[in-house]
Amino acid sequence: MSRLQLPPPSPGRRQLLKLGLGAGAASLLPLSSVFANTISTRARIVILGGGAAGLSMANRLSRRLSGATITVVEPSDLHNYQPGWTLVASGVWEAERTLKPNAQFLPTGVDWVKGQAAGINADLRRITLADSSTLEYDVLVVATGLQLNYQLIDGMSPKLVGSNGIGSVYASLDAAGRTRKAIDTWLAQGGGQGIFTSPQTAIKCAGAPVKMTFTTLSRIKAESTRERFDLDYFTGGGGMFSQPWINDFLKQRFDQENITRHHLQHLTAIDAGAKKAEFTSPNGDTEVRDYDFIHVVPPMSAPDFVKDSDLIAQEGAFKGEWLDTDIHTLQHNRYPEVFGIGDVIGAPINKTAASVKAQAPVVEANIVAYLQEKPLNARHNGYTSCPLITDIGKAMLVEFGYDNNMEFLPSFSFIDPKEESWSAWVLKDYLLQPAYYAMLEGRV
Amino acid sequence: MSFSLAGIFAVLSHAIQPFVALILIILAVLIAVQLVARLRSYRTKAHHCKPAMIVALLAGLSAVWWLPMLTHSQLGFVTSIVDWLALIAAALGVALLVWLVLHPLSYLVRGPR
Repeated sequence: MSRLQLPPPSPGRRQLLKLGLGAGAASLLPLSSVFANTISTRARIVILGGGAAGLSMANRLSRRLSGATITVVEPSDLHNYQPGWTLVASGVWEAERTLKPNAQFLPTGVDWVKGQAAGINADLRRITLADSSTLEYDVLVVATGLQLNYQLIDGMSPKLVGSNGIGSVYASLDAAGRTRKAIDTWLAQGGGQGIFTSPQTAIKCAGAPVKMTFTTLSRIKAESTRERFDLDYFTGGGGMFSQPWINDFLKQRFDQENITRHHLQHLTAIDAGAKKAEFTSPNGDTEVRDYDFIHVVPPMSAPDFVKDSDLIAQEGAFKGEWLDTDIHTLQHNRYPEVFGIGDVIGAPINKTAASVKAQAPVVEANIVAYLQEKPLNARHNGYTSCPLITDIGKAMLVEFGYDNNMEFLPSFSFIDPKEESWSAWVLKDYLLQPAYYAMLEGRV
Repeated sequence: MSFSLAGIFAVLSHAIQPFVALILIILAVLIAVQLVARLRSYRTKAHHCKPAMIVALLAGLSAVWWLPMLTHSQLGFVTSIVDWLALIAAALGVALLVWLVLHPLSYLVRGPR
């Protein structure tokens, strides 16, 4: 890895002049103005991904940078509101409620390349697309999201979702609908063994495995047939949730509800025909369990083309799996012209849309500062949020960050993050989706 | 995480989108009834109609039960102080809306009292 021995590239003054950065006057302004003014630049900015993070950055940067060439690389025409998928799988929402065209959120003046990125050459500052065409950049925003690694579970495929008692809310909107049907079928049986899983890796919306357990339990209780259903929860981690108080709460609630917890055991194989699942402990011990319904949450990582690039973490907890970014400035640790946002970054928590909302202004401010050759003063505190559904009809609005030992960071002082409430449910059901769309537009 | 005033308006503009048609219909009925009644000399304080008041109160009280159901929830999950304040405010809004429609309507149907 000879390139690691090279000094990290930095935007020298000559280089910035080459970019046509008209920030001479702006550089004399106080820091507060950095967060408010439009700056003039001819920088080529490529945003990889048109999900929550990519679209937020496209809107924010197009507003802040005058004269820049901003390109979004995103193959899909449709934008999925993924936080709504648990509600689709639970029978609360119709699938159509989570779909909108991507074009609605892309600002004018931003180039949209409807292609799939296939490679990143960080030294040459070049993106290769699946059709072998290339894009060169001066600043790269990696907002690819993450990759679902169903293939790491022997015998499992997203195609199986909806059949043989298999559900998986993560696979796609269609799979969320098929998960709902699989749960319907199981409930119609009137009893049996249900297994809910969570993998050993970091995952997006880390509350979703728990939410699916609670919403399914809610439906079982509504049928007054609780005693005929056995529920088990297998997690590859030692705990259930990153926030310590919520972790204790969930353990206690699962015990109260007779949901048997199995820690440090992750799903490694599934026999769909025989309805058997194999779980493996860190020491290699395996256990095979029968099921009537299983909710599969796959291991996750950065997409392969990011993993194969020089941008992937080379050491530490995120080595080989996640983007190597400073968790506070969100700038790449070795390539300063690269910034990361959203699910793809290596961070202790933060794979949620709520985190993107907090990260986007930081990345925007730090890209502007980088272009102006100023210190990167904007810092992300690790904020994330999970509207933790504990029953169909009530939830807890859990907001916290990775600074200060995962302390609570409530947005609304009048909503207690430790309390289950109807208000938090209404926020999840009616207000978080509008907040998400406003975030995509860079308006919150 | 804090929201600016512009941010709150941006969120609300998206939040009301699915309900715009319903809101417009309710507003149209309310304005039409009020306008027609006032053109025929209706004055809120001068007209008395107990049934309108009773129906409005019943609508408000029943809202305490059906508003949570409308949000895929149930009254049993309304537990915190914030929950109750929000529900009572919404129920009062329902009662007021019903009264603002029925009161002038009763004037138009039954004449001045």
